[in-house]
Amino acid sequence: MTTTHTQTDGLAIEVRDLRKAYGEVEAVRGVSFEVSRGEVFCLLGPNGAGKTTIVEILEGYRTRSDGEARVLGMDPAHGQRALRERVGIVLQQCGVQNDLTVTELLEMYGRYQPRRRPVDELLELVELGEKRDTRARFLSGGQLRRLDLALALVGDPDLIFLDEPTTGFDPGARRHAWSTIRSLCDLGKTVFLTTHYMDEAQHLANRVAVMNAGRIIAMGRPEELGGRDLRPAEIRFSLPVQWSLGDLPDMPCEARALEGDRVVITTKDPVVAAQRITTWALDHDADLGHFSVSQPTLEDIYLELTGDQRENVSTEEVVR
Amino acid sequence: MSAVTTSSLKRDLGLVAWQIRYEQRAYWRNRGRGVFTFVFPLMFLVIFASLNQGAHIASRGGIAYDAFFVPGILAYGVIATTFVNMAISTAILRDQGVLKRMQGTPLPPWAYVMARIGSTVIIVLLMTVLVLALGAIAYNVHIHVATLPGLAATLILGTAAFTALGIGITRFIPNAEAAPVVVNLVILPLTFISSIWFPPDGMPNWLVQIAKIFPIRALADGLEYAFDPRTVGAGLNAQDLRTLAIWTAIGVFAMLRFLRRPQGEVSGGSGRRLTLGSLWTRT
Repeated sequence: MTTTHTQTDGLAIEVRDLRKAYGEVEAVRGVSFEVSRGEVFCLLGPNGAGKTTIVEILEGYRTRSDGEARVLGMDPAHGQRALRERVGIVLQQCGVQNDLTVTELLEMYGRYQPRRRPVDELLELVELGEKRDTRARFLSGGQLRRLDLALALVGDPDLIFLDEPTTGFDPGARRHAWSTIRSLCDLGKTVFLTTHYMDEAQHLANRVAVMNAGRIIAMGRPEELGGRDLRPAEIRFSLPVQWSLGDLPDMPCEARALEGDRVVITTKDPVVAAQRITTWALDHDADLGHFSVSQPTLEDIYLELTGDQRENVSTEEVVR
Repeated sequence: MSAVTTSSLKRDLGLVAWQIRYEQRAYWRNRGRGVFTFVFPLMFLVIFASLNQGAHIASRGGIAYDAFFVPGILAYGVIATTFVNMAISTAILRDQGVLKRMQGTPLPPWAYVMARIGSTVIIVLLMTVLVLALGAIAYNVHIHVATLPGLAATLILGTAAFTALGIGITRFIPNAEAAPVVVNLVILPLTFISSIWFPPDGMPNWLVQIAKIFPIRALADGLEYAFDPRTVGAGLNAQDLRTLAIWTAIGVFAMLRFLRRPQGEVSGGSGRRLTLGSLWTRT
């Protein structure tokens, strides 16, 4: 009667050697990854890296040129209704029927779904209760984005695609969207996210894949990405004028350097190094200014990984 | 198996009915786009009929001008509410990404297209009733029971042809801003040679021959034939109906071509399927 799609492997998404060419240009050049059920997976990368192409292939909007793709055990290229009933989609830029109200839109899109979440619950989740009788035409950009999210959730999907969901949000609205997205995870939903915001990936994702020029160049937990947790730390401070770099004591470090008036100590043992420096400073009554110890941020790693941005330009222009 | 198919079809037809309600609600709320396409023909009816009050058309055996003009304006009304409205609104829905969003929902594309057509048919019916009522009350134009089959057949085929053509032409509309220009560029010149505003008397033969190729003249002429007091029989004008039937076929072909997207890129894919794909993407 009906085909049940049972997932024995617990994978929500499975992609193997995925490729997409637009004419001569390869926008996606052999990408492989897996997303477990209940996971928040994030594709991070500069504009034109191929993120949206991958998402739209998984959503069934585009066809792949080569490779394998499985979403909830189904091939998205076949565009089955069964898949559309279990997937929620927030597209990057996508309008609604402008002359209908928020409530009417939630009801209308809800009718297409075999199971649906109550309108009031959705309004509360995205905090649009006050706008329930407002026509979409009169909503602000941020409110429309929240409506997008509510519309994606209307069918109580197992898997939610969010393509740059907070672009154009103010910091407060972004924080709020993050907590909404996290609450989805608490409900056991799988979230597939694309973003070019480092902090967003850091806050939300269980795993991040960094894309550049159609390829995944690094993948892992945000705190481990690109060996971030193994990278040496940097200790920075300014020395009073009567002291120079050579006066500093012995300590475990890879490098000591001057950047302007700042001393930069690169060390894999920041605790011991910092202790040596501060002890020395106290003994010599040296007043160290702007003292800080830092690990490389996700952004540092990202910029290092994506490196040459110019490579992307041609791909982006063709895709547009 | 068939029981399941029947019940899911029933459910989908229920969705079509609901979708028609939403389409109607959206149409009547949008004064700029919706209502004005509706008001335009009625306005022309009042203006032209007033200008030609008491006039008669010698080439048609001296029938009252109104008996010619009311069906003419009805033809224009059908075109405005089907072709013009469908082309412009589809271009807008495509540009705004609404079609793309709809494609991501479980609503089958055919059901959505059917609901849009169904909603258009309701608008055409309303337009027909209003024009005929205005014509009967204000301009003393009589609807002949004998020629009703001709009136109905011409209206149905005309609505089918222009609705399908309205969706199909969206393919040639580069963006929503260009839609009114493209649509009027196609429609306006043809209305002047197609017996809408005035009878094509004394028009050069080559213009008449051009007009005869296109469905506007067939629609206007078919309706005028049904309204002409001299018409005997059921009012079915075979030549006009044939032209409309051919254009309906062309329209449906253009519409389906437009709604289909090749699926050839994936090996082992399901071939071609009805989708709103090409409505929103040009890749």
